[in-house]
Amino acid sequence: MSGNSLVLPIVLWGRTAPTHCISTVLVMDDFGTIVTGCHDGQICLWDMTPELEICPRAMLLGHTASITCLSKASAGTDKQYIVSSSESGEMCLWDVTDGRCIEFTKLACTHTGIQFYQFTIGTQREGRLLCNGHYPEVLVMDATSLEVLYSLMSKISPDWISSISIIRSHRTQDAEDTVVAMSVTGILKVWIITAEVSRMQDLDPVFEEESKPVYCQGCQSISFCTFTQSSLLVTCSKYWRVFDAADYSLLCSVPSEGDQAWAGGEFMAPDRVVLWTEDGCGYVYQLPSSLPSSQHFRSHVGKTKEGLVPPLLYKITDRSDKQLLICPPVTRFFFGRREPFHKLLIQGDSAGKLSPVEHPGQRASAAAGGAELQVSATISLQEAFDKLSPVSAGIIDQLSVLPGKEEPIKVTASAYIPSQGRLVCGREDGSIILVPATQTAIVQLLQGEHMLRRGWPPHRTLRGHRNKVTCVLYPYQISPRYDQRSLVSGGVDFSVIVWDIFTGEMKHIFCVHGGEITQLIVPPENCSTRVQHCICSVASDHSVGLLSLRERKCIMLASRHLFPIQVIKWRPADDYLVVGCSDGSVYVWQMDTGALDRCVMGITAVEILNACDELAPATVDALSHSAVNLKQAMTRRSLAALKNMAQHKLQTLATNLLAADNADK
Amino acid sequence: LPKMSAASQVERAVLEEEFNWLLKEEVHAVLKQLQDVLKEASRRFSVASPGLESQLKQENFILGNSTMDQVKGVLTLQGEALTQADINLKVAKSSQTMHFQFREDKQWKLQQIQDARNHVNQALQLLGSHDESYHFSTGTEVNKLMDAVMLQLTRARNRLTTPASLTLPELATSGLMKMFSPPMPGDVMVNFYINLSKLCLMVYQLHVLPPNTTKNFKPAGSSVLHNPGAMFELNNNRFEVSHIHKVECVVPWLNDTLVFLTISLQLCQQLKDKISVFSSFWSYRPF
Repeated sequence: MSGNSLVLPIVLWGRTAPTHCISTVLVMDDFGTIVTGCHDGQICLWDMTPELEICPRAMLLGHTASITCLSKASAGTDKQYIVSSSESGEMCLWDVTDGRCIEFTKLACTHTGIQFYQFTIGTQREGRLLCNGHYPEVLVMDATSLEVLYSLMSKISPDWISSISIIRSHRTQDAEDTVVAMSVTGILKVWIITAEVSRMQDLDPVFEEESKPVYCQGCQSISFCTFTQSSLLVTCSKYWRVFDAADYSLLCSVPSEGDQAWAGGEFMAPDRVVLWTEDGCGYVYQLPSSLPSSQHFRSHVGKTKEGLVPPLLYKITDRSDKQLLICPPVTRFFFGRREPFHKLLIQGDSAGKLSPVEHPGQRASAAAGGAELQVSATISLQEAFDKLSPVSAGIIDQLSVLPGKEEPIKVTASAYIPSQGRLVCGREDGSIILVPATQTAIVQLLQGEHMLRRGWPPHRTLRGHRNKVTCVLYPYQISPRYDQRSLVSGGVDFSVIVWDIFTGEMKHIFCVHGGEITQLIVPPENCSTRVQHCICSVASDHSVGLLSLRERKCIMLASRHLFPIQVIKWRPADDYLVVGCSDGSVYVWQMDTGALDRCVMGITAVEILNACDELAPATVDALSHSAVNLKQAMTRRSLAALKNMAQHKLQTLATNLLAADNADK
Repeated sequence: LPKMSAASQVERAVLEEEFNWLLKEEVHAVLKQLQDVLKEASRRFSVASPGLESQLKQENFILGNSTMDQVKGVLTLQGEALTQADINLKVAKSSQTMHFQFREDKQWKLQQIQDARNHVNQALQLLGSHDESYHFSTGTEVNKLMDAVMLQLTRARNRLTTPASLTLPELATSGLMKMFSPPMPGDVMVNFYINLSKLCLMVYQLHVLPPNTTKNFKPAGSSVLHNPGAMFELNNNRFEVSHIHKVECVVPWLNDTLVFLTISLQLCQQLKDKISVFSSFWSYRPF
């Protein structure tokens, strides 16, 4: 943003809510906000009233892969921060009150769990994030800068960690907090972290105090009982178990019923546990009286283990009108830290729906076999959208409403042409609408005499595609070597159409692909003359075409790829078109002959993709800062530094899973 | 025109029946096949339960080059760790052969193998909760499952096909050099890694750059393999790689595993392609 003009982004959502296939749920400590992450990488903030009424407030965009974890990242009441991590290793620190992204980093590994840990040194409060995932240790990161400080490693049978629980010590002086973790092979590990260790930066790894095989395969979660401070609940897919928190001896074990798989569990009260299954059913059990009180359990340990099934207090049924879910729902349990101390079991599903269930207090007694608690009020994103009045408008809604149909025709592809002030919208019926951009926005956002005019703003409709338009491209905008009149569109009908943007005439149809067109790309400047007048099209049958706009024919069709195409790169000096597929294979095609030069995998493939970026010009400034890390590059907003860093570091990070910490000393 | 719509009605009915067959029969057949292939792959990793590591079979691999005999090694692989590395190294410009072995009960874990094994297990867990009794109601559900399984399988395969890139200082401080008896001299560095189905041993011979050298010092970046001429700095000393020796040996069960992973990925992709034929049909609305 340059100059002294203010640019305010505005979103026109349209009537249909964005899909939100929930993958993680977090309820903030004050029970005023719920945060959900989805499989497409978006995060949604929902407001919740004390009466448990939920309303979506904001959507946070930025992650490029499925959100795997959400955790709080601040403990004070003054700021409400959360941290999110994605499948591709991106981590973001967000301010929940206004949705700002405060910090960002990208690691080489995927987290499956993050927990916030706070401690005080003198008057200073420090926050840490303890992360575990697809790597053989627990990473300890600084909660404000997202830097990895040190890690908790294992000497005995190091392996991936399934879940961790932090046990805080009672002592205020020389506090020694404990981290209990379960590895994927069923070994319980214990680390002691003292304030000393926590304070130091840049450290040697901390090794475990204790490593005990407990033979718990498929551990989903570990929960420490904060009420009695003496039991540990371990939930595995086939059973749940309670261990003594002092000597880790097994106190009770309950198998799962039938084919349900447990997905997690927590202590609700000193003698009650809540557990939930993979398909979203919740169960509340009463623990045997021997467990909580430390005087009695030792005498009963041998006797209570066999044949004791704790009575089931409640069962939370799945909704009778169960919608078609495309992936298992996510369930979690949260305590309210303030009045009125809610105990909330909340579930989010693939339809973008949140279902909170509140647990009655201690006074409620158990019925034999378990009473059933019904899910009360649920809310989904689409329901929230439907409740809005006036209805949320889409960009060209007034031109897209068909008589007799409730919903306007959806816009499925668009391109904005600033030089002409025009917006090109491709729609699901195959038509393309050209509208003046600002006037269209005004129609939706402001009231005025235009509301009385039919068919306003003046627009042009291009018809040619048989079905949904998937991409729209104005090549002249990317490079002036193209004809100013050409507008290119691709659709689900396997065709690429070239239009004259001024007259609205269809100039040519290319029907060379065997699948829906997924991308339209402009080749770089220094390609051969023939290729310079081409557009590169990618289709869902894994084929890549070079379509010449000048000669009106396809000059190359590369269609031997077995897997979907992920990336297209160019090496104009050698006349190569490099195709990277989703399975990691790289195909190198010769553009003038259309022949396949080679097909490689592994390290060579990564090196070829890197080599295509090498000839990108780097400024002197970038070269001298080759060691700058991603965070600094983002803060300085230095594109050159970012590009340079990306070329060297990101690729090596992607294959280097913390190899420096791999040493088995 | 009425005739056309009748024909398209019939076509639509047939397609719907085909899709139902796909969801009810074909998907489960493919998933069963996938599970079988992955169980075979997972068996190759031969993990012992904790406490019974000694029961894992030990395999010895002879790494050497028939033409040059500068480096020869016999590595013992047990599960995912190297339990012994017997290396004979003939230093350039000298006829002496140095001999190194791991110190007693020291092991070097090959993280690549452990990660690959864990990813395969993750994929099996995803498939395990969708057995024959599970009813798929939409194509999207199948696609989502396939995407999740393919992500784990691709990662498993990548861990084996793409070894970690390290900088030379990272390699020097990795702790590997301290595992040997007699101790590795300061001008020799070794690295073990898996590349596709091969177990590789890289030996770097270094020479110390004098502090007032005229050579232009440029530290080398991260790489799987460093070539002669690569320079680095460690503890105020500067080094340059003078010679490299690479020897490797094929590990048959790793080869099997890679083949199984490739087959599984293709099975998943083919199922996704079949579903997508119908999905473009379902979203078709005649306008």
